[in-house]
Amino acid sequence: MEHVFEHVTPFVGYVYPNETDFPWSQLIVIYPYITGLVAGAFVISSLDHVFNIKSFAPISRFALLTALCFMIFAPSPLLFHLGQPTRAFNAVITPHWTSAMAAFGYVAGFYLCLLVLEVWFAFRADIVAMSKARTGIMGKIYGWLSLGSDDLSEHALAIDHKVARILSMIGIPAACGLHGYVGFVFGSLKTREWWSSDLMPVIFLLSAVGSGVGLVIVLYVIVSKFRKTPIIDETMRGLLYVMFTGVAIVMVIEGLEILEMFYKAREGIETVRELIAGPIWVGMYIQWGMSVFALLTTSALLVLNVHGKRLVTWLFLSGLAMMIGVLAMRWNVVIGGQELSKTMKGLLTFTPELFGRESLFTVLIISICPYAALWLVTKLLPPWGEKIEPESRAFDVHKLA
Amino acid sequence: MTIQDKKLEAQEVPLSRRRFLGLLGKGAACAGAIVGAVGAGNALGAAEAGSGKHAYQQNDKQYAEAVNDPPKIPEYNWNDHQWAMGVDTTRCIGCLRCMEACKMENSVQMDANHNRTWVERYVYLEGSNTALIDSQADPKNIANAGSETKFRFDNRYKDAKVEKAFFVAKLCNQCEHPSCVEVCPTGATFKSKDGPVLIDTTYCIGCQYCVQACPYGARSFNESRGTAEKCNWCYHRITKGLNPACVEVCPTGSRVFGDRNDPESPVSLFIRNNHVQVLKPEMGNAPNVFYVGLDKEVV
Amino acid sequence: MPKHIVRLLALVAVFAIIAIAAKEFLIPATFYQYGHYRGAAVAEIASKVPKLDGSASCQSCHKEAYAEWAAGIHRKATRNDVVQGLVIKNGPNCEVCHTGPAGNHPSREAMPLSIEDRVATITHKHIIHPADVPGRNLMLAAKDMQSVCLNCHEKLEARPKAQPQIAVDSHGGQELCTTCHNPHSPGVVFAALPRPPYDPITGKAIPVSAVKPGDAGAGKSVAAACAACHGKVGMSVNPEWPNLAGQHAGYLVSSLKAFKSGTRKNDMMSGMAAGLSDADMRNVAAYFSKTGCGVTGGDKAKTVLGKAKVAEAGCAACHNSGGLRGAGAAGISASQTWPNLAGQNAGYLGVALKSFKDDSRDHAVMSSVAKTLSDSDIDNLSAYFASVSCR
Repeated sequence: MEHVFEHVTPFVGYVYPNETDFPWSQLIVIYPYITGLVAGAFVISSLDHVFNIKSFAPISRFALLTALCFMIFAPSPLLFHLGQPTRAFNAVITPHWTSAMAAFGYVAGFYLCLLVLEVWFAFRADIVAMSKARTGIMGKIYGWLSLGSDDLSEHALAIDHKVARILSMIGIPAACGLHGYVGFVFGSLKTREWWSSDLMPVIFLLSAVGSGVGLVIVLYVIVSKFRKTPIIDETMRGLLYVMFTGVAIVMVIEGLEILEMFYKAREGIETVRELIAGPIWVGMYIQWGMSVFALLTTSALLVLNVHGKRLVTWLFLSGLAMMIGVLAMRWNVVIGGQELSKTMKGLLTFTPELFGRESLFTVLIISICPYAALWLVTKLLPPWGEKIEPESRAFDVHKLA
Repeated sequence: MTIQDKKLEAQEVPLSRRRFLGLLGKGAACAGAIVGAVGAGNALGAAEAGSGKHAYQQNDKQYAEAVNDPPKIPEYNWNDHQWAMGVDTTRCIGCLRCMEACKMENSVQMDANHNRTWVERYVYLEGSNTALIDSQADPKNIANAGSETKFRFDNRYKDAKVEKAFFVAKLCNQCEHPSCVEVCPTGATFKSKDGPVLIDTTYCIGCQYCVQACPYGARSFNESRGTAEKCNWCYHRITKGLNPACVEVCPTGSRVFGDRNDPESPVSLFIRNNHVQVLKPEMGNAPNVFYVGLDKEVV
Repeated sequence: MPKHIVRLLALVAVFAIIAIAAKEFLIPATFYQYGHYRGAAVAEIASKVPKLDGSASCQSCHKEAYAEWAAGIHRKATRNDVVQGLVIKNGPNCEVCHTGPAGNHPSREAMPLSIEDRVATITHKHIIHPADVPGRNLMLAAKDMQSVCLNCHEKLEARPKAQPQIAVDSHGGQELCTTCHNPHSPGVVFAALPRPPYDPITGKAIPVSAVKPGDAGAGKSVAAACAACHGKVGMSVNPEWPNLAGQHAGYLVSSLKAFKSGTRKNDMMSGMAAGLSDADMRNVAAYFSKTGCGVTGGDKAKTVLGKAKVAEAGCAACHNSGGLRGAGAAGISASQTWPNLAGQNAGYLGVALKSFKDDSRDHAVMSSVAKTLSDSDIDNLSAYFASVSCR
């Protein structure tokens, strides 16, 4: 029988015939994941830029670059997913405002511009310095990047600082908007019981912050090891506070959402129960297991007032756990929602493709891209406040090759 | 106050509600404009404002245009028609000729994952309070027929004790408030003035948000074209005075089609002479496919 | 204001102007005309050419088939002007069964992924079809036929009771539906059964290649070899062997052929038939069909019970000269290819029915009918037919 019917998703109970083809695949799992990382990383940089919390100063520029690099690749899963990627701009040319998706191009575009501008202001002094220090092509590039102005007067820097701060202030609601909005795309659909929740935007936003902070912690620790620079204890403590807050709140709200769903017990709640026990149980275990681990670890780190090497190790682990847990949560939401049939009388089991346009391989490539971009961008715009010497050739095209 | 007056007053209420909704719509449009929209007013506009004959999300100017300069379809004016369909489940014999005819007429993908219309079989076994449901896409039915392109129900309940059983034909409900149109980010799908919800396949980007949003599972995604796929009541047929393909081939008259503007059309009679229901009324989509003989188990 | 801010603002302004201009420029011409969509799309969608063409278009070429359909119960399921079953409007029209719309002509399997996606097309009248349609005639194998007829008429629990339905096993088994029914007008005309092969395109009966009638005179010499068992004029010496006297020649020929080919098994008869040519078979059959039959008779009490059972078991549908519920002579089959039962040996009839029942003898209809009979039913029926007049 396989040969006549091989491309149908296996299901139990009754599902609408058209549901056996999943509209949204694993690419839509990583799309909110990547934008979530953007939002989280941006929050960290803002804590320094806007609120002047000095413990975040050492990593704020790095977090900003992280946000930028991930944002550049955030739309790529969507492009790979579209049936007609060449028409993607139709949504921008004639946006249909009743669609939760129509504003995506504008929101993402606006946010990307914001990030570029903010990066530019944050690094302008360095760019100017490097345009003078470097020769050849790189000198030219830095020259263009500085827009041909080497004005580093106190007055100009003060303006820069002020503008950067304003941009960052706009960036916070924008980041929340971008991500809450992704949650809205799911939460506003009345069709799918598993998505249709008012808490969805909040859950997306908070878990985004959790995973983003996790990412910054992980990257900070790894990069510091490679650069053989000390990991600043105060910064780690600051990240710990943010992490703990994020994990604690997101767990409460996620718990509330499930509780509400079961307490309301609308038609088909048995099927929801079977969904959790069935197709997505692994995902649920990972999501909740990792979250509990992160919560317990961060709580212990706070209660025991841990510092130094042990803080680094355990915070690194809980950051990693948060990244994995949130990825699992995205899977559970996006795939789980579609595995629960609209009939509420059936369950499907999604099997991801390994190779192809919409496959795990594509997901892997797209997931690697932001890290590669980040590596390149840190070469171009060193974020760690290194001193720029005219002789130093920290970045050289020949070295790159 | 006479009865007449009371009736008038009763009609007044929804009108004022409509006006309120219109205001809301305008408010939302303004919000949209802030985000950076050019022409946002066109988009959300004053949906439902005014005479009530507006198509979904059509503002006054567009309505006037639709009336004064209708699309150039030979011998057809969309202002004269308001299409609707009726499905009498008590007559359906589950022969699935409608599915096959639809796939042929509209070149729908031939596999079981893509259907513009399908038929569900509901079977209550003796002593059970819930129905067993299957459709042609059920692997057992396909194995029995030997191919996805042979549309046939198997005889799996031959030896079972069946208390009650019936077929229910499904298709796009061409809703008054279509969720799919609501969520389409580009305007590639829309509610036409005469009823059907159409897809502009040259403009669809294939995001499949509409597939997610349809409460009835009536939409699918055509991978070979990269665009969404849905029933449009054979718009190319009904604008030429023909019935939709599924109605044309239905041997028992289980499917009824017609113009609600004509009080003597089959569908007007069907709605007038029967107690009709719609699917999932709680969704608020206000379907335009009317059913007779639904059951609590029908999803 | 510092130079870099001015330049940045200028850059942003240029970028914004380009973006807004591009957006405005790229909006399709008729967008927003009637709503948030391309107004021209409506007429484009409406301009597609319908493929289902209606029965009237079939009529232009397939006049005979159309006439049959138009006069028959598939057109309008009425009996005595009362609508029967569920059919209200026109009944199933041509394209219900011939699902290639006015073609895909004439294949059912020709269902490409998407006709629009094909490049190679042919134009049939004003309809464009894919060119590589594999041709396949309908209704020539039992499987095709059942998948067509049974789409609507297989007994399914969920089908409304008013729909005429059959349980295949107890109806015709593997027999072709067209043996009894004309699919264009499926009301059974028992006098004309079984139906001759049938051209699915024109709807005309295919003339059966003229079979030479047997020569009874020549058959008499062949019959000498049969006399030892079946008697000189075809009245058998043993009640478990069949009388041949007065039997339909068509049935006798097909039986002899079946013995010769081995599809019907009997040690004695296989040997006898092996030595006969086709002409011999026709001749000997003609001889016995003309000899006078006799009534062998059976147990009185069983005869009465058997007579009652006949109506219930449905024997009369075929073994009755008047056809189903007809008023014809009982035990005289309507068709040449089905045996007369009247006056036949009760013992032989019992053996035959039991062999159908236990599948040692196979026939699509009889095998399923016999399985519904108990041993006493068989005895009673045999006794009844044995005592019916064969004249």
